[in-house]
Amino acid sequence: MKTTLSSKARRNFLVGISQTSALAVTGGLLWSFIIKREARAMPFALRPPGALAEADFSALCIKCGQCVLDCPYDTLYLANSADSIPIGTPYFIPREIPCYMCDDIPCMNACPTGALSPTLEKIEDARMGLAVIDIENCLSWQGLRCEICHRECPLKDKAISVEHHQRKLSKHAMFVPLVHSEACTGCGICEKACPTDEAAIKVVQADLVQGAIGQHYRLGWKQEGQISQEFKTVPIPEQPVEATGLDYLNEGDL
Amino acid sequence: MEITRRTLLKASVAASAAATVGIPISEVAAKTVDEAEKDWLWDKSVCRFCGTGCGIMVATQDGRIVATKGDPDAPVNRGLNCIKGYFNGKIQYGKDRLTKPLLRMTDGKFDKQGKFQAVSWDRAMDEMEKQFKQVYKEQGPHGVAIFGSGQYTIPEGYAAAKLMKAGFRSNNIDPNARHCMASAVVAFIQSFGIDEPSGNYDDIEYTDTVVTWGANMAECHPILWARVSDRKLGDVDNVKLINLTTCSNQTSDIADSEIIFKPGTDLAIWNYIAREIVKRDAVDHDFVNKHCVFATGPYDIGYGMRPTSKYAFEAEKDIQAKELEVVLDADEAIAQRRRAGERVKQKNTKAPVKHWQISFDEFKRGVEPYTLDFVARLSKGDPDESLASHRQKLQALADAYIDDQRKVVSFWTMGMNQHYRGSWVNEQAYMVHLLLGKQAKPGDGAFSLTGQPSACGTAREVGTFAHRLPADMVVANPKHRARSEKLWKLPPKTLNPKVGAHIMNILRGLEDGKIKFAWVQVNNPFQASANANHWIKAARKMDNFIVCSDPYPTVSAKVADLILPTAMIFEKWGLYGNAERRTQGWRQQVNAPGEARTDVWQALEFSKRFKLKEVWGKQKIPGLKSKGFTDGELPDVLQQAKAMGYSPEDSLYDVLFATAQNRKVAWPDEAVAKGHACNTAEWLGEGWFPEKALFNEYREFGLGHEHDLADFDTYMSDDNRGLKWPVVDGKETEWRFNEKYDPYVTKGAGFEFYGKALKATPVGDLDGVTDKKKKPLPGRAKIFFRPYAAPPEQPDNNYDLWFSTGRVIEHWHTGTMTRRVPELHRAVPTAQLFMHPYDAKQRGLKRNDVVVVESRRGVFKALLETQGRNRPAKGYTFAPFFDESVFVNKVCLDVTCPMSKETDFKKAAVKVYKA
Amino acid sequence: MPATEQRLGPNGKPVRSLELAPGLWPWLVNYRHLLLRRCSQLGVLLLFFGSAHWSWALLEQPLLSGNLSSSSILGLIPLADPFAVLQIFVTQHVLEQEVVLGAALVLTFYWIVGGRAWCSWVCPVNLVEDLASNLRNRLKINNAFHLPRQTKFIVLIVALLLSALTGVAAFEWISPIGVMHREILFGIGLGWLSIIGIFVFDLLVLRHGWCGRLCPLGAFYSLVGKYSLLKMHFDGPTCTHCGDCIKVCPEPQVLNLNQATTIGYIKSGDCTHCGRCISVCPEDTLAFNWRSLNKQSQQINHPLDDNYRRKSS
Repeated sequence: MKTTLSSKARRNFLVGISQTSALAVTGGLLWSFIIKREARAMPFALRPPGALAEADFSALCIKCGQCVLDCPYDTLYLANSADSIPIGTPYFIPREIPCYMCDDIPCMNACPTGALSPTLEKIEDARMGLAVIDIENCLSWQGLRCEICHRECPLKDKAISVEHHQRKLSKHAMFVPLVHSEACTGCGICEKACPTDEAAIKVVQADLVQGAIGQHYRLGWKQEGQISQEFKTVPIPEQPVEATGLDYLNEGDL
Repeated sequence: MEITRRTLLKASVAASAAATVGIPISEVAAKTVDEAEKDWLWDKSVCRFCGTGCGIMVATQDGRIVATKGDPDAPVNRGLNCIKGYFNGKIQYGKDRLTKPLLRMTDGKFDKQGKFQAVSWDRAMDEMEKQFKQVYKEQGPHGVAIFGSGQYTIPEGYAAAKLMKAGFRSNNIDPNARHCMASAVVAFIQSFGIDEPSGNYDDIEYTDTVVTWGANMAECHPILWARVSDRKLGDVDNVKLINLTTCSNQTSDIADSEIIFKPGTDLAIWNYIAREIVKRDAVDHDFVNKHCVFATGPYDIGYGMRPTSKYAFEAEKDIQAKELEVVLDADEAIAQRRRAGERVKQKNTKAPVKHWQISFDEFKRGVEPYTLDFVARLSKGDPDESLASHRQKLQALADAYIDDQRKVVSFWTMGMNQHYRGSWVNEQAYMVHLLLGKQAKPGDGAFSLTGQPSACGTAREVGTFAHRLPADMVVANPKHRARSEKLWKLPPKTLNPKVGAHIMNILRGLEDGKIKFAWVQVNNPFQASANANHWIKAARKMDNFIVCSDPYPTVSAKVADLILPTAMIFEKWGLYGNAERRTQGWRQQVNAPGEARTDVWQALEFSKRFKLKEVWGKQKIPGLKSKGFTDGELPDVLQQAKAMGYSPEDSLYDVLFATAQNRKVAWPDEAVAKGHACNTAEWLGEGWFPEKALFNEYREFGLGHEHDLADFDTYMSDDNRGLKWPVVDGKETEWRFNEKYDPYVTKGAGFEFYGKALKATPVGDLDGVTDKKKKPLPGRAKIFFRPYAAPPEQPDNNYDLWFSTGRVIEHWHTGTMTRRVPELHRAVPTAQLFMHPYDAKQRGLKRNDVVVVESRRGVFKALLETQGRNRPAKGYTFAPFFDESVFVNKVCLDVTCPMSKETDFKKAAVKVYKA
Repeated sequence: MPATEQRLGPNGKPVRSLELAPGLWPWLVNYRHLLLRRCSQLGVLLLFFGSAHWSWALLEQPLLSGNLSSSSILGLIPLADPFAVLQIFVTQHVLEQEVVLGAALVLTFYWIVGGRAWCSWVCPVNLVEDLASNLRNRLKINNAFHLPRQTKFIVLIVALLLSALTGVAAFEWISPIGVMHREILFGIGLGWLSIIGIFVFDLLVLRHGWCGRLCPLGAFYSLVGKYSLLKMHFDGPTCTHCGDCIKVCPEPQVLNLNQATTIGYIKSGDCTHCGRCISVCPEDTLAFNWRSLNKQSQQINHPLDDNYRRKSS
């Protein structure tokens, strides 16, 4: 009796364990699927100044909204479940209200977790995104005298400069705005100010648009210190192993 | 053929490929565009904004403006626009567009303290007539006034001026162009005897040196600056651009040299250049001997303020006192060859324009004190710049002017015009160009740019000033009056010889109760005039009646008693004249909304309410003193009028506007209109075409008098993109006073400054007249010596910063139109105070702080900007005036150039602190 | 109301009448815990809302800025959800001191007042839960299936495991508590859907399905509550075993009356300190009191207690 009882109990126990585990695993998989979609799928959100890289940011952000509340310009939103932005995280839409780049960075200072990293000392060093010009629809690139983005840029001449080009169609020079990633904070004041129906200058996350020159090459006319790209250690080419090339030399006809 | 998935795919790939390599979109796509735009009607027109005068094309559909584009055929802009021009099509569709006359009322009756209520046009005009007639009876013709405009179309300005001068016999009509161009006008008339520039915009392509003086062309004449920049880029090494300014701005961006000078010291810099020319014997003696004389005038001419402190705020009194007596500072003493600390009574405030011829030697003696050392020390405007660097730049500036291999164009705008010695500094520009013989030649010339679209075409040429008649004639000149009376078919002595009140004096007249009826047309004087607190109070507290014709509820409308809803540019026929003498016309494109009416209709309709016997009888004009007139009055001319066939019962409308000749100008006029409406004609309903009739009537004034214009139909024709007057034998004049181009120059003369005004003066030396007998100077221009004088208000311990106002590219003047374009409002929603970061730090201020700017006259609040488009040197601040919520004119000083009466908006002393 | 005969309890004391005397005051006294809980729940929400939208401030500092995940009182005292902080911690991200301090403060607070006091005194979802429960009683709906109360601890473990594996605080990304609270404070999105979900689940499927069985935050506070200082005391000898307390209790398993009689208080950390049982107990057997740290003194002499007898022998 005792053995039957204990085997029954053991059986029940095992069934219970496996049921629980099955529940936990299925639930966990579903759960992690939701998290992946929520937290990882939308890298397009523009974050407040000082935000860490998206993966770290979404881990550290506790979704408390204190940055949102401390922004004096009501720039920041806390993503709700209807937004296509990771839920509960702060973001801004420059065309609605850009970041006005407060010197004292109140949003960052409000952050309790360091998701908005206190290592940001000057707002000019913030990298919320990068302004990109659609030169097909930029009025200045067509020859009109606009350049509002340049004049309104809080880092005028550093983040956005104007180059003067001759215009073939008439004797009027073009005043074309150019964005410089080494200074652009992605505050979005340019996007807000752009007078076209759909802004012809937009702030996006820099890694969506920025390329990188090969690490093995340097631009000959740029002096050291002028290079804006951050080159890390240049990989050293692997040494060839002995007697390479035999496959090609020995196999196949010409 | 059956379309398979595959063919579809292929087609779409091809299409996207085509798009990426820039092949025009397929015909199918082009057809869809055509389909959407097939009902659009494109017609030529002109940009509503600045004096550049860009051509635009306007597309209309179903009575709405649906699109605009830069006119590719317009020689000024070749299809381009600035960002304001881009929004021409939107300015009339602001949500708060006025559509009904509004009268201040209580219980159905007019009440100055009442609230605005909508009334009918009849009710509005009845009240206006009643109030006007009451004031007119009590105060005479100079108790009423019109605030005119450099944004009037030519027919509008002409109708207003004729109604006022010929009908009401009042010279109290003065345009806002007084604030903008008057100094340029005085200098043109005094130097050349005729108004407006000798050159044209093509000078830009011919020259190799462009010097801008107090002109932020990059923002304020954007399309012209694009031409200047193109010239620079086309020949980078050779073409030189030099920007002289008191505040670093966008014009400096492409300039080779930026010279920051202390406000007011441009007077000294010009004299330094003149001294260098003389010293290096770079004078074009041949040119000067043949075509010029030297001249000068009194120095003690005041500052255009009231001669009494009766109306001044307590804090204003120390500045106001300078109107009577000035203590010379050390620099003025050197510049005027006097003693420092000397008290100088301002004896010539009544006749500041008087001048006399002097010898070349006297002229040399005049410029002698303006050595490089003196001027560099005096004029250095940036405390952070070294004296050596500033010196070097001044020297390079003089070199650029003097270099005989260089052609030079000097451009200026408000920095030189809105100046307590604006007329002087304008004359100094001609002084340098004439000395060098670099005037009136392609690529060589001093070129005054205008701020408003028809400051030249209407305000100046039509003569809507208190002292002017059409075609450069003046009311004080009996011959001019006689000629005007003849052309206007008026009895002799109908026209009033006494110069009327200029803008500041109309405002002052409202304040001291001398003027009790004012009509604001096409401008916004209560926001745009300096020392605004006085005038707002005068309008609201004094017993007066102010009418404001405007499409939008502006500051001036807010202080008015009656608001008349008014048609805007594309809702009427019109012509503008730009800064290069180019007259351009457009047809009415759409109807005005609601009950909004054209300014021409308003003037004509109002004129119907006056009979000759009410205005052409004896009229008192206090202070009138003129040969042939009884002191203080205008004679009754009704008898002579009868002899001319008029009845005392005739209305002004019939006598001035709907004349037999004008009624012959028939509406409909399909040959010109080509399907376009003319609301003015239709509302009047009498079968004549007022805009055309009035233009053609006005044109008579200039024909054969160096101001020839083509006729109305020519300007309206589809292929015409404007003509630069004088238009003789259908040909425009590119460069005036130059035999090669100007038919008015006597054959063989080479050059001839044929303007007729002030062409005989007494003779004297630097200190005064020695021979009162007027010596004629036919065909010659005058080279004036004008000394440096210090600004009457300068920063001191209490008000420790310079303050200047001006424009930004995105907004036009007081923002009444551009702030209603949502995109422009979004781009630049508010006026900022620009300040050097160091000054901000000293005051504990940060960027974007709300700050208070306070002067002796008032305060305004603004957001602080320390790193924006304008980069003032330490000690200097700037804020634009477009934003009525940042009311900069409460702070500005109403000092004017005593000669031109143009306000100096550029030099006030303020303090700035955190709000 | 006719006077009824006084009933005496096992200890000989008269039993309190459960008939409410007329008037407001007796009503208030009877429902004091419920009323205070609602005040607390709504008050916290209001403090957050007022500070965010109506600029409620003292000395120019917002009264309570942030939300239940993390906040600060007067810009001085940081507060943080210790469970959220724990999740972030297991993602191996270095946290700022401020939030760690905040979590410690909150943790200490709930250690003192009882872990799941959070659930019935602060958490906004409790309002939904109580409404569903109430309706369920009226509509007499039966559970659709059974889910053990311990499930929430599994969810808790999974939450921490997932946090470690995915590198983000797993529960914070799906928490209906966070969603509801944030969307009340920062603008409505689709969060109400998850709240409706909880409501429908609790109403039609499983009584106290979310709070009692699934919520890992509840599970977390339950662990804290086990050792809390404030406890629901149980005066064993007075208990008539009428079972009224068990009927009203949202977590009836905590009312292990034998154990409670023995140790003198409700031991389980699942007790949310809602106080419902106090109101319904005619014998006033249940009352909040501090747990003495001296274990001995908690032992009550009771002749029926085996443990007691064994120890004393």
